[in-house]
Amino acid sequence: MLFKDAFKTSTRSLTHGKMRSILTMLGIVIGIASVIILMSIGQSAQDMILGEVQSVGSNLIVVMPGAPSNGKFSSPASSRGIIITSLQQRDVDALARESSISDVASIVNGQAEAVYGNNNKTVSYQGVSANMFTVRNLAVSKGFPFTKGDVDSGSHVAVIGPELAVTLFGQYVNPIDKIIRMKNISFRVVGVLEKGGTGAFGVDQGNMVIIPTTVAQKQLLGINFLNGILLQGNSSYDINFVKSRVTFILRQNHGINDPNKDDFTIQTQADLLSILGSITSILTIFLAAIASISLIVGGIGIMNIMLVSVTERTREIGLRKAVGATNNDILQQFLIESVLLTFTGGIIGIAIGAGIVGLVYFVLSTFFSIGWVFAFPISAVILALTVSGVSGIAFGIYPAYQAGKKNPIDALRYE
Amino acid sequence: MIEVNNLQKEYLEGDTSTLALRGVTFSIAKGEFVSIMGPSGSGKSTLLHILSFLDRPTGGTYKFQDKSIDEMTDKELAHVRNSDMGFVFQSFNLLSRLTVYDNVEIPLLYSDISPSRRKKLVEEAVNSVGLEEKLYTEAGRLSGGQKQRVAIARALVTDPNVIFADEPTGNLDSQSGLQVMEILESLNDKGRTVILVTHETQTAEFADRIIRIKDGIVESDKKITANRIHRDIK
Repeated sequence: MLFKDAFKTSTRSLTHGKMRSILTMLGIVIGIASVIILMSIGQSAQDMILGEVQSVGSNLIVVMPGAPSNGKFSSPASSRGIIITSLQQRDVDALARESSISDVASIVNGQAEAVYGNNNKTVSYQGVSANMFTVRNLAVSKGFPFTKGDVDSGSHVAVIGPELAVTLFGQYVNPIDKIIRMKNISFRVVGVLEKGGTGAFGVDQGNMVIIPTTVAQKQLLGINFLNGILLQGNSSYDINFVKSRVTFILRQNHGINDPNKDDFTIQTQADLLSILGSITSILTIFLAAIASISLIVGGIGIMNIMLVSVTERTREIGLRKAVGATNNDILQQFLIESVLLTFTGGIIGIAIGAGIVGLVYFVLSTFFSIGWVFAFPISAVILALTVSGVSGIAFGIYPAYQAGKKNPIDALRYE
Repeated sequence: MIEVNNLQKEYLEGDTSTLALRGVTFSIAKGEFVSIMGPSGSGKSTLLHILSFLDRPTGGTYKFQDKSIDEMTDKELAHVRNSDMGFVFQSFNLLSRLTVYDNVEIPLLYSDISPSRRKKLVEEAVNSVGLEEKLYTEAGRLSGGQKQRVAIARALVTDPNVIFADEPTGNLDSQSGLQVMEILESLNDKGRTVILVTHETQTAEFADRIIRIKDGIVESDKKITANRIHRDIK
C-alpha cells in the first residue's frame, strides 16, 4: 500500500469520529502546551534575570572582602555578615593605575532610616565613589549624580531611588535640593534615580540612597575599609586577563604569597551570568520534566483509545486483509493514525502554548509593568514536535501490532 | 485451477478438538460455476475459507493454480487474495461510512495499480453492477441488494480469476437475491470461476456443479449440464 493511500485512509478514519479524535488528542495538547509554556516562561525568566545582570554594566568585575568559598554557588564570608576589613582605599588607588582596567568604583553599605519631615523609611544606603554612576549604568531622571569633588570634599549630598522620593516627598513635590536626614546627618538630594526595578545585587534600587563613600565611611559607619570594589575592565582586554591582573595587584597590596590565602574574592559578570544561567536552566528543565508527565498520561490515553479502535474495527481489519492487505499494511494504517493524533495534538498544543505565553507577556507587561521578555524558544517547538511524533509511535505501536497480526477469518467473524 | 486432496481442518479449543473437514478431495477447473451446499455445521464455510486463502488447512493438500498453499507465506497469500480472488460475503462487509467508490477502491489500494488507473477500474466495476448513479453515496445509505452489488463490484475490481461468494443472497429478499445471482452468472459467462457456498437449493442451482458436504466430507459432487445448456441457449 502506498504511504499516500495509507495516510488518506487514516485521515478519513480520524475525521469520521471527530469528537473522539479531539478528546483523544486533548491529553497530548495539554501536555505539549504545558511543556511549551513552562519552557518559554523559564526562558523568559532566564532572559530577564540575565538581562538585569547585564544592564548593571558591561565587563564588570566585583571584588568582595574575604576568602573565596570552594563551591561554585557559595558566596564569600563577607556576604554572610562577617566583617572583613581587607579591602582599603589604597587597593582602589592601585587598581585605578592598571591599564587593563578602565574604571574603579568603591562601595560601602549600610542601613538607616531616611527622614523628611514626618515621613520616614528604613532604607539601604550605599556609599560610593562618583564613577559608580557610569560603571553601573545608574541613570538619574531628575537632577544630577554627585561628582568626584563631592566625594573628595565629603559633601552631604544624596541621590535617592524614585520610590523613596514618592514615600518621602509625595507625588507632586520636587525632591531636588530638599534636605533628608539619616542618623541625624543632613543630606541634600541632588538627583533621583530612574525607575530600574531591583538591582542585580539584590538592592532595591527604587528605595536606595546613594551618598559619597567618604561620608558613609566616616560619618555613618565609622569605618575605614570598603565592602566592595566594582571594576570595569578595559574592553580591549580579555576579561579573564583583567581578572588575573586584579588578583595580582591585590595579592601584592595585601602581601599574599600563597594563592590559597587570598583575603578577597573576585567575581566577573561572566561568572555571575554563568551561575545564574545554570540555575535557571536547571529550573527550566525541572519544570519541563514535570510537564512531560502529562505527556505520558496523554500518550497512555492515546494507546487506550487506539486499542479500543482496533477492537471496534476488527471486521474492517478482516475485510482489508481478505482483499489483500498484509500485516504491515494494517500496522502502518493504525500507526499513522496514532502519529497523526499525537502530531496534530502537538501542533495544537504549541499554538495554545504560544497563545498563553503571549497572554502572560501581555498581562505582565501591560498591567504589572514588569519588564518581561517574550521568549518562545524554537528548541521547545522542535522538542514538542519530536516528542509528540515519537509518543505517537511509542504508544501506537502496540495497538497497531495487535491490529496487524489479526487472523483475517477470525476478524471477519468478529461480532 | 483448484485441486484439493484429502483436505482436513481441525479446530482446537482447550483440550477438545473438532474436525470440521475430514478429508475432502475434488478439483475445480477454470471457468466453472460451483455451488458448495450443506447443512449448518457441515464444514462448507470452513472449506470456502481455505479455498479462498483466508484460512489454512491442518491436513491434506491444496493447490491453487498449481501452487501449494503450504509453500506460500502469509504475504504471498495476501497477494493472491488481492490479485486472483474476489470475495462476496453474506453480510456485505462494506465500510458503511465510506462511499461506494471508496469501498470498491479498497482492494486496489493494496495492489500495484497506479492511482490514475484506479478511478477507471472502480467506475467500470460499479457500472457493471448497475450502480453508477450511487458512486458517491455512502454505503450505509444503500438497500441490502444495492450493498451486495457494491460488494460484487469490489470483488470484481481487480479482475480476479475466481470469485468466492459466501451465502451472497442470505441477507436479501428474493428479488434482490435473484439480481445478485444473475450478476454472478454473467460473470461466469465471461469466463470467471465462481465458487458459491449456500444452503438454498434454488440459489445453488444457478451453478453447473453442486458439491454437497456433510459432516466434513463430500457427500455428492454432481454436474448440472442442463443448466449450462439452458444458459448457452439464452
